Amino acid sequence: MGNGKIGVCLVGCGFIGSTHAERWRQIPEARLVACVDLEKERAKFFEETYGFQECGEELDRFLSLDTVDVVDVCTPTYTHKDIVLKCLEQGKHVIVEKPISLKLSDAREMIRRAADSRLKLMVAHVLRFWGEYVLAKRLITEDAIGEPSVARAYRQSAFPSWAWENWHDYLNKGGGVFVDMSIHDVDFLRWSMGEIEEVYAQGGTYVRRNASSHDYTHALLKFKNGAIAYVEGSWIMPEDYPFTTFLEVAGTRGILQVDNQSTATVSLHRRGRVERFTPFEKDGYYLELQAFVQSVLNDTPPPVSGEEGLRSLEVVLAALKSVLTGEPVKLPLEADVVE
Amino acid sequence: MWLSKTRFAVLSFAHIHAWSYARVLRELPETELVAIYDDSSERLRRAGETYGVKKLYTDFEKLLQVEEIDAVVIASENSKHHALALAAAEAGKHMIVEKPIATTLRDADEMVLKAERKGVKLQVAFVMRYHDSAVKARETILSGALGRVIAITATNHGKYPDLWFGDPVLAGGGAIMDHTVHVADLTRWYTGDEFSRVFCRVGRNIRRELKVEDNAILMCETRKGVKVSIDCSWSRPDTYPVWGDVYMGVFGEKGYLVLDAFKSNVSLVESGSPMTYQYYGPDADRNMILDFVNVIRTDGVPRASGHDGRQALEVALAAYESYRSGKPVSLPIRY
Repeated sequence: MGNGKIGVCLVGCGFIGSTHAERWRQIPEARLVACVDLEKERAKFFEETYGFQECGEELDRFLSLDTVDVVDVCTPTYTHKDIVLKCLEQGKHVIVEKPISLKLSDAREMIRRAADSRLKLMVAHVLRFWGEYVLAKRLITEDAIGEPSVARAYRQSAFPSWAWENWHDYLNKGGGVFVDMSIHDVDFLRWSMGEIEEVYAQGGTYVRRNASSHDYTHALLKFKNGAIAYVEGSWIMPEDYPFTTFLEVAGTRGILQVDNQSTATVSLHRRGRVERFTPFEKDGYYLELQAFVQSVLNDTPPPVSGEEGLRSLEVVLAALKSVLTGEPVKLPLEADVVE
Repeated sequence: MWLSKTRFAVLSFAHIHAWSYARVLRELPETELVAIYDDSSERLRRAGETYGVKKLYTDFEKLLQVEEIDAVVIASENSKHHALALAAAEAGKHMIVEKPIATTLRDADEMVLKAERKGVKLQVAFVMRYHDSAVKARETILSGALGRVIAITATNHGKYPDLWFGDPVLAGGGAIMDHTVHVADLTRWYTGDEFSRVFCRVGRNIRRELKVEDNAILMCETRKGVKVSIDCSWSRPDTYPVWGDVYMGVFGEKGYLVLDAFKSNVSLVESGSPMTYQYYGPDADRNMILDFVNVIRTDGVPRASGHDGRQALEVALAAYESYRSGKPVSLPIRY
């Protein structure tokens, strides 16, 4: 960590990789050492666009560099375990995109290895840094609505067809809409309302006919404290449908509601489509990466631990199991769901 | 063609909707409100005064003997619908029954059968079928604009209605009994399909003092495999700007439709009070009663029949069964 700066190696030059790279560039404590991708052109593009010092296809080469302190793993979910373990082996701190993995056993191994080698492992559950969700969590914690009883959360978009080799089509690569996308809402609800004891879910594969993963799933969560929540994940929205989120939590003393469409501060209308934004100079992604940097610099626990990522994973896997079996699923899960 | 007014009586003002129905009966040139029954003499007096009705009864059998009455609106507590409906049918009166049609399937079936035998019209007050936006949504879905329907996310949120709605005997339950049936009915109306499976969980009560559940979520499936979620919670605090919502997010293979039927409001802030929403949307109650008059005059079929009321009630009852057993419940359910 020369000059009080953290050397960053980013793996996976795709959609979330570019989102992170944009923020890494703004973080004063970060030095963009290397970017890695299986496809050379993508890595090269990132190097030129975001100002990484080096780029390449071989992760191993960069992991041996002393100038790399942390690795930001932005690759498809099914690759997380091998990459994360490799990074930890080489003594690098890791921030890994959500979900931590598709298997509980893999997640546990990653957590154990990070603990054994006294390295930071953070899971990028960005809602914990996202404006409206941070405020909602604070309001709930400050007892503004009393004890939560019933919550609703939606997350809707067209299928992410831009993803590399359509890996979201595969149950054993991305886990489907609920595992990949609704884990955001599940993690937020766990964070703000407590642990979950039972999941019932319905869904299936509707628009991506040949996919093995589900593109629509909705779930009913029951919390240990007696609250319930409805969580909906949809990748079956029409193309050009604006990415839409909604949250509502009703408690014994009040109710809070927010959505990302009616609260957007910038709307862009063009032929056939509308886009809405709520820009922040320091947005959720920035704050998330900055929080990770601080935990490394100060040697403090990362704000979203591997265990937290594991617990949220367990809930979305329970939802997947419920869709597959048609029955309510109790937590903890006894076995893995995705092979 | 000149037609005389259709003469109505309202049987009980226990349900809050009775006041709106009575208003419509007074407003419409086609209808006349001639008599009122109520088992609360105080409420009876108040209703009589409000609508200028002279014939007031605390005995419904006596009211039903009045020959000039063509039809009745039954808006009592839920569990009392059955007795009133059987008596009305026996007396040959057509009837609109507030939702839910009854609190048990046995009661509902008896009501439907009796009305059939006596040749009187029984319409359930599924007013949403008469709400212009809900009608437009149905036309859009049936036109094929969405393609095959995959899933429906429905909510019928509200405030706690108070009165007898917290009495498990009179109401037959809480939020599930009160707020499942409207959107369950719209789902049936939109898909032409029946519910086949219901799973339900109830959250810890928002109002801890209530004897009935005030929030719940249902996860349902129809015979053709449409996944339907229903949030029937009385989750709106007293100070919420509007009483609640009727919301249906309909996911199709080709499109997505949202019905948010009570969104037509003017936001109003009066000094010293919280903001309220003043509704200016379609008058579904008026549409419903007008249609019912037409059904009587043309010997037609009600848009929302007793059978529809029974099928929606079954979803609510299945939800209670699932809540008690912790398991999904297959429909049809037994008595």
